[in-house]
Amino acid sequence: MPDWQKLVSHRLAALSLEPQGTEEVLAELASHLEETYDALRMDGVPEEDAIHHVLSQVPDWNELQRKIQSTQKENTMSPRVTRFWFPALITFVISMSLLAATQIFGPQPLILHPANYPVVTFYVFWLVALPLIGALGAYLSHRAEGSLGTLLVSSVFSVLPFLASILIVLPVSLAFDHFIAHNMAPMALVTALFGWVLAPGTALFAGGLLAGLLLSSRSTSRGVTTG
Amino acid sequence: MIGPGVKRGTAEIAILSILHASSLHGYEIARRIEHQTRGKLRFTLASLYPLLYRMEKRGWVRGTWQISQNGRRRRSYRLTAAGEKQLSPLRQEWSELFRALRHLAKGAHA
Repeated sequence: MPDWQKLVSHRLAALSLEPQGTEEVLAELASHLEETYDALRMDGVPEEDAIHHVLSQVPDWNELQRKIQSTQKENTMSPRVTRFWFPALITFVISMSLLAATQIFGPQPLILHPANYPVVTFYVFWLVALPLIGALGAYLSHRAEGSLGTLLVSSVFSVLPFLASILIVLPVSLAFDHFIAHNMAPMALVTALFGWVLAPGTALFAGGLLAGLLLSSRSTSRGVTTG
Repeated sequence: MIGPGVKRGTAEIAILSILHASSLHGYEIARRIEHQTRGKLRFTLASLYPLLYRMEKRGWVRGTWQISQNGRRRRSYRLTAAGEKQLSPLRQEWSELFRALRHLAKGAHA
């Protein structure tokens, strides 16, 4: 009987996995071959035929090595991460970086001062670029097979931290900072929500929706669905 | 005879279904699938292990080393909770596909 462990080690000599991984794979494959050989011998198959049959299980050892190696490189992120968190964080980082760059290098923001309302600042260049960033988020989510809903939420994710901070910071400031004029608080809330949530959120949503619909119609015309 | 393309697609569901019943080592998985499909699905070492390792990497199955009664060291695979969760929609998807193909075939013969 051949030394199956030696045979497998020789044929998969270039296999390189995580520590211990290679040894375990070689041992497991050798054990499989040995078991197949033993079963054939017990069925009365002559030794030479049994060896030939066992070896025919692997027509190309290099191909097997490549396949095993590739399983270790497979992306193991969960669908929720690839469909939602990854696109959402990418759009968040890009939109925040662009906002910071616009604030530092310009162009100058549009500042509105409506009567009886606090100042509203619009970074027009940033707002104009947001549909593209929303579309990027939608594309990344769609590529990971995210639904239209997931795709839209990941597109507008960048404004959610603004929404959370406005809803938390303003009430906390009112409670602890005695220098804030309480009569201005509702109007400040409205302008902050409009300038930092509604306007950028609409821009991101528009880009995300457009890209989502475009990508969905393309994949529907290409694919075959069941059910 | 089922063609190789469909076989590739059914391989995952076959392994998950077999492991749903009990924990098995690689050789036994291949043997049972062949037996239960009356030879229609046949796994060789080259087709089985890359798939098993991929499924393990995804967290659908988990392999642990065990010593058999005859003293042989073997890696036994069991279905994980993630694998269980995967099995039901996969079965549904495949039964829908086969139902659709049956309708198509009926239509062609009518």
